[in-house]
Amino acid sequence: MRVAFVGKGGVGKSSLAGTFARVLARTGERVLALDSDPMPGLAFSLGVERVDHGLPDEAIQEYEEEGRRRYRLRDGLTGTGAVEQYAVRGPDGVHFLQLGKARGPRWNNTRQHFGFQRVLDDLPGAGWSIVGDLPGGTRQPFMTWGRYAETFLVVIEPTSASVLTGRRLAGLAATDEAPRVAAVANKVRAPDDVEQIARRTGLQVVGAVPFDPHLATADRLGVALLDHDPEGSTAVAVASMVDTLRSGLEPS
Amino acid sequence: MLGQLASPDLVVVADFEAGLGTVMRLDGRPVDVIVVVVEPTAKSLEVGRRAADVVRESRLGRLVIAANRVRDEADAARVAAHFPGMELVVVPEDQAIVDAERRGVAPLDAAADSPAVRELVALAERILAPAGPPGRPLP
Repeated sequence: MRVAFVGKGGVGKSSLAGTFARVLARTGERVLALDSDPMPGLAFSLGVERVDHGLPDEAIQEYEEEGRRRYRLRDGLTGTGAVEQYAVRGPDGVHFLQLGKARGPRWNNTRQHFGFQRVLDDLPGAGWSIVGDLPGGTRQPFMTWGRYAETFLVVIEPTSASVLTGRRLAGLAATDEAPRVAAVANKVRAPDDVEQIARRTGLQVVGAVPFDPHLATADRLGVALLDHDPEGSTAVAVASMVDTLRSGLEPS
Repeated sequence: MLGQLASPDLVVVADFEAGLGTVMRLDGRPVDVIVVVVEPTAKSLEVGRRAADVVRESRLGRLVIAANRVRDEADAARVAAHFPGMELVVVPEDQAIVDAERRGVAPLDAAADSPAVRELVALAERILAPAGPPGRPLP
């Protein structure tokens, strides 16, 4: 399974992606969680202790091409090798790799940016499931940062702004890789929220996660939801979503 | 474009993309005020601290930390502890804002008297005051 979580900022992508990755790993799958947001996020939701886990400079090699400076993984290092060497092992055995994190006014992630892209070009295949967490908005998703995904999960909360972003992200289905695109309704409060999201975005809704105060508490404490409230409504909803996707989601 | 908008009679309010990218692309050109919006969650406080570092180290302008969705004193204290000595405005968790966003209407139109909107109005007035008083005293 290869999925990427996208959506408007603040809708809960990282919380759901981290929980999804761990629940999936508990089914016995080998899971790589990819975080391409230059702001820390997925690490908290997975329960990984250190929040910055970018590729180190030594993994990336500078070279010149037609007079321009370029970057690639160092000689002999494949994308799969980079995952094995540099991804950290999180709870439930999830492997975790992220883009270098932004810090300081002169922060420059050019090396990590291109290094991470090369990893995306050569991700481990058979025997691995990949769960990606992309930054909020439409920029990265439409600029191929989720090109590994067979399925984009658009996380949508029942607000007008989030639904509008979701509707735009539905256009990912028309990109070159022609991925499946489905919605996950998050922070559901009213009986017709899910139906409204489906109707207003045109997307199939494959998961409905109720508004959950325990998630807010976990976020405040900086602990993963699965560690704070393992049997709660969010965990149950995500487990159901994992089952749906494992059993083979029909295209919308 | 923002540079060309500069005028003594014009107030520009920009809502930047999440993260640090846009702030860093100000490229050292200062603005009057930068409001870093955080929630009292570990993730948001970490991101906010990095944003505040950029603003201060680059001397981009007056820095205001807006703590949003604050439920109680513990939330407010958690935010204050991450931004010691900085100007802080506390915007409470407010069902009126949630309802307005669900309906797709501006909170100022839907609930001008709600606690969260009142705090934001006070912030705007403070910023516009010729010599604004300092923000809420830190605990």
